[in-house]
Amino acid sequence: MKKLVIILGFISAVLAVVLAVTPLFKIAFIPGVAALILGVVAIYFSKEKQGSKKTIQLIFLLTIIALALTTYKSVFDTVEVGNTEELIEKENESQEDAIEELEGLEIDESDFE
Amino acid sequence: MRYLILIISLFVSTISSAQNTSIGANEKLTFSASYNMSGLLTELAEVTMETSEVKTSTSTLLRLKCTAATYSKWDSFFKIRDLYESYVSPKSLRPYLYKRDINEGGYEKFMQYKFKRKTNTVESIKRKKRSDGSTWEEKKKIKISSTTKDLVSTIYNIRNLDIHKATPGDSEVFKVVFDNEEFSLNVKYLNKETINTNLGRKECYKLAISINNSTVLKGNNDNLLWLTADANKIPVYAKFKIPVGSGELKIKSATGLKN
Repeated sequence: MKKLVIILGFISAVLAVVLAVTPLFKIAFIPGVAALILGVVAIYFSKEKQGSKKTIQLIFLLTIIALALTTYKSVFDTVEVGNTEELIEKENESQEDAIEELEGLEIDESDFE
Repeated sequence: MRYLILIISLFVSTISSAQNTSIGANEKLTFSASYNMSGLLTELAEVTMETSEVKTSTSTLLRLKCTAATYSKWDSFFKIRDLYESYVSPKSLRPYLYKRDINEGGYEKFMQYKFKRKTNTVESIKRKKRSDGSTWEEKKKIKISSTTKDLVSTIYNIRNLDIHKATPGDSEVFKVVFDNEEFSLNVKYLNKETINTNLGRKECYKLAISINNSTVLKGNNDNLLWLTADANKIPVYAKFKIPVGSGELKIKSATGLKN
């Protein structure tokens, strides 16, 4: 049981760190919290049986890094649109084409009176 | 039967409007689109809705332009650069030309509809990019009803409805042509609601949008649109539910308003 909790906790902690560095960082809260809970459970089990606590410490370390990074990014994250030069060029070309197309269309006079 | 149709058509037309009273010629609305990921909203893209005048040798039309561009942090994962345009009559907002040029994560598609009002048809051109880089084109002629519009002009026509005359529960049906198919879009006025937006605290008309026989928009009252309860009827907030999740659209700025 203890081993299972430690393995799950470790996987959650690694997942939280990986997600925290991607743009999907907000999702890292889910495995982060799960890893914390599993870490606490693992401590509880390890108190009953004597053994190495190095892995549990590692779980906590990874989780704290992930949560700190996610929180920092959530607070200071600013969104901005990337390179839109292509799109602007496309818009201008499209308008020129559209004017040509519209010249050949039958426009209903009643719409413009 | 005739009376029934008359009553239905009267009911349907209770909130309709013919003249453009809400949309100016130099309007620019900017939105931020968020996607709901496991209950956490993530800002994904910037959506703009712009209007401008376009002159041809015989007439002046209104160009309704909608663009969507993902924020830079997403560009390396899934880059979206979409352009939707509709060229409409500035008075009645009836469309004459519709263009859609999308680039979504490498998937490129171009659609163009020329509305032939006299024959109630649409001449459509579809252009797609194959995986080897070459393009293929398909031309079609589609029969439409006299009131059918494209997607972009429908959004602006919803804004132009006389909602102040409507009572909660009233609805309007729009015929929309999209992907060479015609479908009915129902807009139902639910109630008035005051919400906080980036433009301040606004009293809004809450509308529910649904599509008949379609899987694009899910649910009946899950796709909601809030329009400010003033003469401009600015779309300040929208909530939508699609097959791959749900999201929302929030206004960031609005300039060049008509009223």
